[in-house]
Amino acid sequence: MAETGRTGTAAIDESLVIARPRGGRNIFSKEWILFILFVGPNLFLFSLFSYWPMIENVRLSTQRWDLLSPVRLPVGLDNFEYLWQNSTFHKVLWNTLYFTVAAVGISLALGLLVALLLNQRLRWRNGARAVVFAPFMLSGAAIGIVWAYIFDPRFGFLAEMLGWFSIRSPDWLNRPEWAMPAIIIVYIWKNLGFTTVIFLAGLQGIPQDLYDAAKIDGANVFWRFRSVTLPMLSPIAFFLVVTSILSTFQSFDIISVMTDGGPVDSTNTLIYYVYEQGFVAFNAGRSAAAALVLFVLMMAITLVQLRYSESKVHYG
Amino acid sequence: MGNLSPQQQLVIQRMFGYGAMLFVVLLIGLPLFWMLSGSLKSTQEIYSTDMQWLPSSPLWSNYREAWEAAPFGRFYWNSIVITLFGAGLEIINATFTAYALAYLRFPGKNLIFILILAALMIPNQVTILPNYVFFGSTMQSLIGESWINTYQAIILPGASVAFGTFMMRQAFLGLPREVIDAAKVDGAGHFRILKDVVVPMGKPVIVTFALISLVAKWNDYLWPLVITQTENMRVLTIGISYLFDAEGNNEWGVIMAATFFVVFPLLIVFLFAQRFIIDGLTAGATKG
Amino acid sequence: MTTTKINRRSIVKGAAGAGAAAAIGSKASSVFSAPAVIQSGPLEVTYWTSFEGGANGDAQDELVKRFNESQSDIQINHEFQGSYEETAQALTAAVQGGSTPDMSLLSDVWWFKFYLSQLLQPLDDYIAAGNVDSADYVDSLWNEGVRQGAQYWVPFARSTPLFYYNADALNEAGLDASIFQNWDTIVENADALMVKDGDQTTQFAFGHPNAASYIAWLFQGVIWQFNGEYSDPDFTINIDEDAGIEAGNFYRDSVENGWAGATEDHVADFNTGLFASIMASTGSMGGIRENATFEWATAFLPEKYTFGCCTGGSGLSILASADDANKEAAFEFIKFSTSVESTSYWAQQSGYMPVRKSAIDSEEMQAFYDENPNARTAVDQLPQTEPQDSARVFIPNGDQIIGGGLEQVTVSGADAADAFAEVAGILEEEAQPILEQLEALEG
Repeated sequence: MAETGRTGTAAIDESLVIARPRGGRNIFSKEWILFILFVGPNLFLFSLFSYWPMIENVRLSTQRWDLLSPVRLPVGLDNFEYLWQNSTFHKVLWNTLYFTVAAVGISLALGLLVALLLNQRLRWRNGARAVVFAPFMLSGAAIGIVWAYIFDPRFGFLAEMLGWFSIRSPDWLNRPEWAMPAIIIVYIWKNLGFTTVIFLAGLQGIPQDLYDAAKIDGANVFWRFRSVTLPMLSPIAFFLVVTSILSTFQSFDIISVMTDGGPVDSTNTLIYYVYEQGFVAFNAGRSAAAALVLFVLMMAITLVQLRYSESKVHYG
Repeated sequence: MGNLSPQQQLVIQRMFGYGAMLFVVLLIGLPLFWMLSGSLKSTQEIYSTDMQWLPSSPLWSNYREAWEAAPFGRFYWNSIVITLFGAGLEIINATFTAYALAYLRFPGKNLIFILILAALMIPNQVTILPNYVFFGSTMQSLIGESWINTYQAIILPGASVAFGTFMMRQAFLGLPREVIDAAKVDGAGHFRILKDVVVPMGKPVIVTFALISLVAKWNDYLWPLVITQTENMRVLTIGISYLFDAEGNNEWGVIMAATFFVVFPLLIVFLFAQRFIIDGLTAGATKG
Repeated sequence: MTTTKINRRSIVKGAAGAGAAAAIGSKASSVFSAPAVIQSGPLEVTYWTSFEGGANGDAQDELVKRFNESQSDIQINHEFQGSYEETAQALTAAVQGGSTPDMSLLSDVWWFKFYLSQLLQPLDDYIAAGNVDSADYVDSLWNEGVRQGAQYWVPFARSTPLFYYNADALNEAGLDASIFQNWDTIVENADALMVKDGDQTTQFAFGHPNAASYIAWLFQGVIWQFNGEYSDPDFTINIDEDAGIEAGNFYRDSVENGWAGATEDHVADFNTGLFASIMASTGSMGGIRENATFEWATAFLPEKYTFGCCTGGSGLSILASADDANKEAAFEFIKFSTSVESTSYWAQQSGYMPVRKSAIDSEEMQAFYDENPNARTAVDQLPQTEPQDSARVFIPNGDQIIGGGLEQVTVSGADAADAFAEVAGILEEEAQPILEQLEALEG
């Protein structure tokens, strides 16, 4: 312990320069061993249970296999060609984009608003935060069941509320044009608490003196928001954008319980398609190809984000 | 607004704030209320065109019926085991990995960070079959026994953590550098810094992630469904599906009662954890 | 809870009857030339099922319990695996992981998949050795599980579509049930069965489900009634021929003209009075009996140019990977579950069809039908039912592919000519690998 400490002390200054791309051309040091010790178990489990299956998946995407027969037929890029030409898959891509942009955009905007609200010195705000966060903890499958009941155009809670304003409830889950908005509403309802709490943590971490300084400079509320709050929230916002996109891309339970991707594929997103092709249609090859598309898209978005944000993000 | 005194402005601002807060609470809370009220209704009442806020006479028997439909006591135990071990391993893994990524030097560290991020993007649906085969045939040939239908098989694939690592790394990077510098000047090693500086200061994010991890383990469905085969190894979330009828004739009141079984422990944990988060956040706020 | 009780009792019993078990075991093994194994307790056999909870689950529990108590050398451990689809998924994973059960319940659209990969055990030797009276099984149900003259799938929880109507709504409209004999008379009288509140329909004359709730199964009969078919037995796809298109556009018009609705759970919507009539599984009868708040009755499916109705539901198969002794024991359970006594009990509890002719004719069942004329309709209709077209049950995902086309027709108002042409294209493509596999397997 003490020895490790001394080595650590020797290396302080460089190790703390985070932005530096490489740790220099150091000879093998105890810090490396420590790093391997800290990161190793995690990476080992990932290799076994995530990377390896993913590599398998790449192989599978060039095969035709029904998950049962002993024969896996090599088919080259046929599965990708199929997806490229398939109109359902085009629709699936569009649905994914629609869902992701709407769900991420709205839940981030609302989350920030609610966080700003709950950051005020209001009584019961902790209770309100608890209520807002609660849906995030509930199982998507259970929530889907409850919401299907809420959306029911005749017995549902929402139909009743719309009725107060003399609006007739659409048949949410049975109409192609309404099913996706319904799914988005449920997603936002479930995840708003998460964005709110994370933003709130960010807001509370902003040192008060920055605001005081801005006040002295004569900045009004909106200007203080622009010049202090937003920049200081940028690391948190970056984290939320990335994780929210990844979570919408992989949002499965709600769709599976509420619509099974329907009606007429209107809520069939990439992740659902991967599942449907794999475990319902038993087209392991196509499922793997679609999963690869999903993976590449997510990777691309994250890398762009990472490149863009790691340089610009302001670490408080 | 111009002719209002600052005092009056403050009152209006407050009133607006409370109004908005009430609105948000209602918006989020009503569906939950609807679930609870539904769990006490008969099927006829659920499918009634004139909406009842509360059941005319609460049908507590829905809870008994749900409890008797499957061995929920055993399901609770299994869920607790896999949640505690699963979340525990995740938290430990995330803390150490995040610390290493934030403060330790290593060649190609960024690449490792990206590699871990990449794991976030591998859909569960892809890993199910290979992992199943690993615990089945591969374990069979490695150690002579299959691990299918065991706790370790439910827990291990979820013990590695990308999300939490990412989250904590971001937070650790945001910790004031002076404090850590000071600790180093005092001759503290990395274990000491982790234990005495980073973990206490990063408590809000660790607690938040712990909560997220507990929730995720508790609510996990697809993998536990596939990797367990017998009733005595099933977890709580699968208990709900024990109440669905293969022909689609469902007693919604009973199903919502079973949903409550799944949700209830989380709400309790949350009530307590809420306290921790508040403390943590307040500490974070005053520190700055 | 029931399971633990059974276990304890069986273990005690097993210990007491170990001698007898060994005796019976050796007797059976002589038939199959398997080495006699002396056991120190009951032989445990794993059975995967999709029935749990509700009337069907309770009846399944009871059958297993009765079997385990009826003898002491076999103990069935039944494990619920979720819906039909989830059970098939679990079994697929188990095949890959080398952890298959001895026996599984498989639905009409799934068993063939496992047969094609040669994972199911042909049962003929067991049928012969066990003196099973296969001629007493309802022919159409029995024959569905036969490939190349061998039995792979024994009918257990078999159902057919049935026509359900709201008798109160019919009375209010001043009509009688004879209008449900033909689609034309239904269309003529549909307006009388509609109730509107302003411009909102609060009662439709008829209701359709969506793809996930098996619309393709219910439409199977309808396309036959229009003299069409999904495909012929050789996988030639005919859904896009004129008869199929006429049937499809009949569905489209039913919604476009406003007398039929299309929802996710059409049985629930029938129970609440939104639909004055539906086609649904006989297995839904128990739930309708429990939940409908009005007088309801059943009828044969309506005709168009002819009558048409298919079978469905699930049956039992034994996995080829099981040990010989377990296969033998599993078959004992299949034999027990489909015995006259068990199938009568099962049918009365669940609403599924009795699979034995002598059960249908038995005094017990006749008395039951006298008391439950709605259940009698189903069994009267049974002789006129036929196995489904290969396109839905043998092409992987055929059910959902056809269901997707039907959703386009009913939900989006697409012309059946376009929708079914697309469906036919997909079905033909998906049939190719099956044809190759069949070629290799059956020649």
